[in-house]
Amino acid sequence: MVIHDTVFVIWLLAAGPLWAAIGLFLLPSVNQGRAESEQISITTLQIAGVIGGFALGPVGVGLFYFEPALIRRTTLTAGVAITVFVSSQVLARIVDPNLPSGLWLLLAGPLWAAVAAFILPRQYRAVEANDQNVLTAAALGGFAIGPIIIGLMWKHTPKISRDWMIVLGSLGAWQIYTLFAIHNTTNPCVASPYHITYLTQQTANGVVIGAIYSLMAVGLTLIYSVQGIVSFAHGQLYMVGGYFSFYFLLHGSNILSDITGAEISINPIWGIPVAAIIVFVMGAVFERIFLKPMHEGLIERVSEYAILITFGFGFFIEYTTLAIAGPFPQRTDRFIEIRRFTLQRAQITDDFAFGPINIIGDRAFAMVVGIILIFALLYFLQRTWTGRALRATSQDRQAAAVTGINPTNMNTLSFGMGSMLAAMSGAALIPIFAWVPWVGAEMVGRSYVIVVLGGLGSVPGALLGGVIVGIVEALGAGCHPDPSRGAAYKEAFALVIFALVLLLKPTGLFGREQT
Amino acid sequence: MKRRTTFLCLIATLAMIALLPLGAVQADGHCEFANYTITIGGLAPLSAPGAVAGGVAMDWAFNQAADDINADCGVQIDGVNYQIDVVTGDSEGSPERGQAVTERLIQEDEVDAMVGVYHSAVGLATMGMLEANAIPTVFSEPWNDNVSANGIREFDGAPPRFEDGIDHIFRISPASSMVGSVIVDWLLSLGVDDVVLIVENTDYGQPAAADEAARFEAGGATVSKIDVELGTEDFVPILSRIQARAEAPDVIRILVTGETSFNLTQQMAELGIAPSDDTICVTNQFAFQSDQYWATVPDGNFCAFNRVGIIPSLFSDAAVELNAKYEEAWGDIIPSFAMASYDAVHIVADAMERAGSYSDAAAIVAAIEATDIDLSQGRYYFEYGAHNPELPEGTPAFMWHQWPDPIVTVMQYYEPGQSGLDAAVIYPEVYQTHGTAYIAPGTSP
Repeated sequence: MVIHDTVFVIWLLAAGPLWAAIGLFLLPSVNQGRAESEQISITTLQIAGVIGGFALGPVGVGLFYFEPALIRRTTLTAGVAITVFVSSQVLARIVDPNLPSGLWLLLAGPLWAAVAAFILPRQYRAVEANDQNVLTAAALGGFAIGPIIIGLMWKHTPKISRDWMIVLGSLGAWQIYTLFAIHNTTNPCVASPYHITYLTQQTANGVVIGAIYSLMAVGLTLIYSVQGIVSFAHGQLYMVGGYFSFYFLLHGSNILSDITGAEISINPIWGIPVAAIIVFVMGAVFERIFLKPMHEGLIERVSEYAILITFGFGFFIEYTTLAIAGPFPQRTDRFIEIRRFTLQRAQITDDFAFGPINIIGDRAFAMVVGIILIFALLYFLQRTWTGRALRATSQDRQAAAVTGINPTNMNTLSFGMGSMLAAMSGAALIPIFAWVPWVGAEMVGRSYVIVVLGGLGSVPGALLGGVIVGIVEALGAGCHPDPSRGAAYKEAFALVIFALVLLLKPTGLFGREQT
Repeated sequence: MKRRTTFLCLIATLAMIALLPLGAVQADGHCEFANYTITIGGLAPLSAPGAVAGGVAMDWAFNQAADDINADCGVQIDGVNYQIDVVTGDSEGSPERGQAVTERLIQEDEVDAMVGVYHSAVGLATMGMLEANAIPTVFSEPWNDNVSANGIREFDGAPPRFEDGIDHIFRISPASSMVGSVIVDWLLSLGVDDVVLIVENTDYGQPAAADEAARFEAGGATVSKIDVELGTEDFVPILSRIQARAEAPDVIRILVTGETSFNLTQQMAELGIAPSDDTICVTNQFAFQSDQYWATVPDGNFCAFNRVGIIPSLFSDAAVELNAKYEEAWGDIIPSFAMASYDAVHIVADAMERAGSYSDAAAIVAAIEATDIDLSQGRYYFEYGAHNPELPEGTPAFMWHQWPDPIVTVMQYYEPGQSGLDAAVIYPEVYQTHGTAYIAPGTSP
């Protein structure tokens, strides 16, 4: 079914101006209860609210509301990204595609990167300036703008902050994109008449799937932040959540049909809370029996034990499910009967058209479910006593215990909730993907990337990390110069970003230093 | 005292029951068996990352064949009945794991013959070991051309046809080229000239794609190839790339197996790319398992798929009976590789009977080469081997020890939820069930 474009435009408007207005009025309240030194100017908050709300709707407003620390850097990154994109578009139109690449090599490129990386750290040490991050910044800057950055850094030897890295990294990306735009004339990301539409389509694909990735990763990060362990059963809990939903819907529908005498099909949305409850109990019981002794000092090699016991738990779940459910793929009915949302093509000017953009209906629904659940979790963690107790335990177990919080119960709660989030993610995705007992393997690998990218222990980091991974995978597969390789390297693109973030910020985007 | 005597009698009775199978001659209904059981090794992917659904079906078929043979008094050699036992090893779809399991089956289980193999990579990796240990083998599912071509080509540096001139590997599944030629001929006959191949990165997918691409290009069509990894779930980015083309392709051909192909086909349909008025959807043979297909590809109506094995309307009594047993066990139509696996065990048992030995590899291989038997997929025979070693000019090398007659057809669904047994056979013309070579979306034959 194709939704009429006006319906979709109304939806877009709701995500755009409406959410910009909500952000405008909501974000200034962030300053309430904060120390004066930590307050952010009202103008900055209002700008962030408008931009975040307009661009990302509830995601942008929610992220800034719960993590105000993101505002400055995100706004900076968005500003640089927009500048990079616009200037690339302009350059792609005015630069002759036949211009020899040698000119670029003279003005910037790998040669200048090598020169900068060689001489600038020496100059910093010679004048006894702080040379932290100089090597990376020099390489990035030399690649992007060649002698200009070398001259600037040589003369002023500025301290290289993260903002510097963002700007220089973006300039490097700008170089690559511009070269791509000039020379790869058949690539749909830069060259086709509808490449703006295509980029929007791929970004939308990435945001939709990324938000779904996030929900699973959030559970993993919650367990890590409180217990300090990585659950190797997370993929299997995700898988079994899908199966609990499947069997609940199957048998529930049969029972209701038998009772009423009419054909009744339960919507898969109801499978999500059912899977959540069952897997929460599973996770909590597992934690009580197998992980509690670890926190009570009864286990000698805690790290190895945690890996082995969660790995064993996952193994047990997977093969038990295989024995019960069999190897044949399953899938539930749709959430909604709309196969895809389509923004029809619109002719904006004589030579510029936008659209069509397609989003699969069930994915859009699962994305909304995922975002709602993540913000519900954020609300729980930030605004309720139990949530604050969980956060307190994650920061300092002993101090939390002194204030009357029972860390043992918090451990159980965190593992139960982490497992529950994985299961809800599975129950949200079983209407979308063919479900088999080993379906968690690919997803959990990606979750590890997301939580490390976002910062181990950070819920907003997991959300943003998921969206970044989704977008990078979509754009990587969609823009790779060789279409035959783009899809095969999909997972590798996210790993490149992952490696870059670890190189520039080893704690991840929002991770805190271990104390 | 009486209680003690009763107790001792009970113990003695239980001990006799327990020791009964160890007796020199076993009684099983109307048959008497020798105390040696012929062990056949089966190789199938029973856990991920292999195609587990396929492996489980193959394992079922091995054991069903053994049960049926044993119920018919087993393998009769020199007037003695031998029971058959199939020991299935889990290859996990991995060449390394397949080699390790094969080594165990040969050395520890001391198998007399081997059957099975689903993934071509496993078949290619284990062939050298099977040859070196002189294990008569009937492969029932790997498609890579080089599996049976080994008979007259060097493999791993070993000379062709070991010492006494025999080659122990046989194949009853088709070679990729045999399947590809049917699909390509069909599509070219429909006039397609812009083809997109979506191909798994495996020893099955890549050679099959290369073969089909060459055939398409020879027929004047242009081909774009997209590689994907097995296990990928989200194909929307790459499908969006296809959708962004100035002209929609005439056909999207999926050379991907297992649940990965289901995800790909469904997402392609959800996005409205294919099947559509502009683009033909050709998915893989798994679509024949209609319960699985419709459960996971609810929008896949009007997709065509290649079917290997006898078409449902030509099922023999043996095939109908086997399909009924499979449906009872698994609730779905029997896949061709399960039928082939069932037949492979029968071919080995039949050859042992004719060879008069379960351990003389040379005699068993010679007997397999002389096979002429009707089973669930039809009449089996091997045209080229030591008994007829000269391949005529133009005959591909993979015809060595290759069953030449696996039926390859193109089928198409035209009603949502339709059984694979009722799907239309659209190509080759001789097998057509609805008088048409393609059913356009939204129409009925």
